[in-house]
Amino acid sequence: MRDSHILTTENLSLSYGGFRAVDKVNLRVKPRTVHSVIGPNGAGKTSLFHCLTGGRRPTGGRILFKGEEITNRSAHARVGSGMARSFQITSLFQNLTVRENLRLASQGRDGNRSLLFWRSVNARKEHIELADSITERLGLAGKAAVAAGDLSHGQQRLLEVGMALCGKPELLLLDEPTAGMGVDDIPMMTKLIADLGKEYSVMLIEHNMGIVMAVSDTITVMSRGGVLVEGKPEEVRADPRVREAYLGKVA
Amino acid sequence: MNATGQARAARHAPENPGQGRDVFAYLRSGPFGGPTPAVAALLVLMPVALPSSTMATEILIFAMATLACNLLLGYGGLLSFGQAIFFGAGAYLSSLATMHLGAGLLPALLAAVVSGAILAALVGALAVRRTGIYFVMMTLAFNQTAYFIAYTLSDWTGGDNGLLDVPRPPLTLFGAALADLSTATSYYVFTAVLFLLVFIAVRRVIASPFGSTLIAVRENEDRARALGYDTRNFKITAFALSGAVTSLAGALYAMLLNFAPLENIQLSMSENIVIMTVIGGTGSLLGSLLGAGAWVIISDMLAEIWPRWQILTGGALILIVLFLRGGLWGGVESLMRRFSGGGAHHAPDGNPDDAGPPPQPME
Repeated sequence: MRDSHILTTENLSLSYGGFRAVDKVNLRVKPRTVHSVIGPNGAGKTSLFHCLTGGRRPTGGRILFKGEEITNRSAHARVGSGMARSFQITSLFQNLTVRENLRLASQGRDGNRSLLFWRSVNARKEHIELADSITERLGLAGKAAVAAGDLSHGQQRLLEVGMALCGKPELLLLDEPTAGMGVDDIPMMTKLIADLGKEYSVMLIEHNMGIVMAVSDTITVMSRGGVLVEGKPEEVRADPRVREAYLGKVA
Repeated sequence: MNATGQARAARHAPENPGQGRDVFAYLRSGPFGGPTPAVAALLVLMPVALPSSTMATEILIFAMATLACNLLLGYGGLLSFGQAIFFGAGAYLSSLATMHLGAGLLPALLAAVVSGAILAALVGALAVRRTGIYFVMMTLAFNQTAYFIAYTLSDWTGGDNGLLDVPRPPLTLFGAALADLSTATSYYVFTAVLFLLVFIAVRRVIASPFGSTLIAVRENEDRARALGYDTRNFKITAFALSGAVTSLAGALYAMLLNFAPLENIQLSMSENIVIMTVIGGTGSLLGSLLGAGAWVIISDMLAEIWPRWQILTGGALILIVLFLRGGLWGGVESLMRRFSGGGAHHAPDGNPDDAGPPPQPME
């Protein structure tokens, strides 16, 4: 029987010595939905994210992507199979232009084929076209020739997500896309993520409760490495355990 | 991890805010555009302006090695203190090929290029398993190993005495004699043509998907990996290309001197190549020619007036690092900017073609 979920984890665990940062987590992400993971600091969200992107090797359990086991696959190989990630701390090519950042991101899906050192970068027109269309979508068209490091913080956060999009992923892993964003920029990001949820499968790790409640189809609440509650936004909002432990502090 | 603010502030090129580095700038000018005509003009002028064509040839040979080092350091952010391995190997192998196998000029040079690439790929494959200072130490250790191997195999390398009586075969192609390279001028012309080809080739490599990715790896390796690039493969390929060109330079040097000394493979040769790269300006190919030229000319002048001249070249290096960030080419660029209207701002499109990205010496 084939799994209809795009991403599944089975008893996924990650321990540092005796400390269980991720403790037997079972997740099931449905295609073309926004699935958020929330929880207080130290709940294991980032550790979970590292396991999913390939940054850390889990110490137990399995990760299945499109029904295929990828538990021990390297970070760059996961991109080739259709996963892309953004970074919590903005991680751009600061000295390169916005356009070149996005072109490199588009070319990334080629993997080792980019080792060709005797071809022009213009040889793959589709990379440049994709880069330009994403620039347009992010509302950065006027900034294409500007160095990424000279963008405003909000624009850098958008570019961060845009670079993940250039990998033509089926699953987008977004790590706190609004981290450090000003209040004025947040509605733009909220709209972008909600739109993305219709085209891609989005796994979102986020602190901003407003965004999580507005865009998520499913929310998983983590606590001490494990899953506390999982459900639709209204169910999670109404759950007394969540209210008591987490939302109470934020609201 | 990516302390962007600090890292940016620490880098050079604050003069043009808002101007992103863009490989498209290279492409607009094509392989024969940009600095290529300027380089061709310099190649014609050099033997006339310099005291001898032999000196001009020496400059071009070291400029080749510097270009290769620049590919690693300026574009890949990889500081290699192992370049002498490839320089020395190219000198020994091409010399042995002509002396013992009776190889002609082009087969001997080809042998140097191929073996340099293979050797550098092996060294690179091991060294890039580490980053930062440990990577640098690995290249240094490999250089020491190579030196002692060359020293020990004195039946082949001549050990301390070096390989004597290295021939400089005439240029032949498919058995037809094209040119006799025994005069200093004819050998200069041959080297200059090779240098121009290497220069155009390196520019093309930098503007390829590979080159643009190499720059990305230097800028932010974690991000490059997250975009799907197996960054080690890019570094190893950069090593192989760099080794091929360095080895070619070594082979040409042995034929110039009719001699392959042990110094070719010594750590101090690696240091000299890195110094020429930094003096000229990392990330600028024209800078590599300037750096090698300045180094050879200054060493030659100082050596005549004072036997302890290396102290002075050390001082010159300190001055350039302190006051001319971006090296000699960086200095030329800011002068040109001052004279061309005085505005510090370029339009983003007016990217100086060869002003590659700024240096970031270690990873």
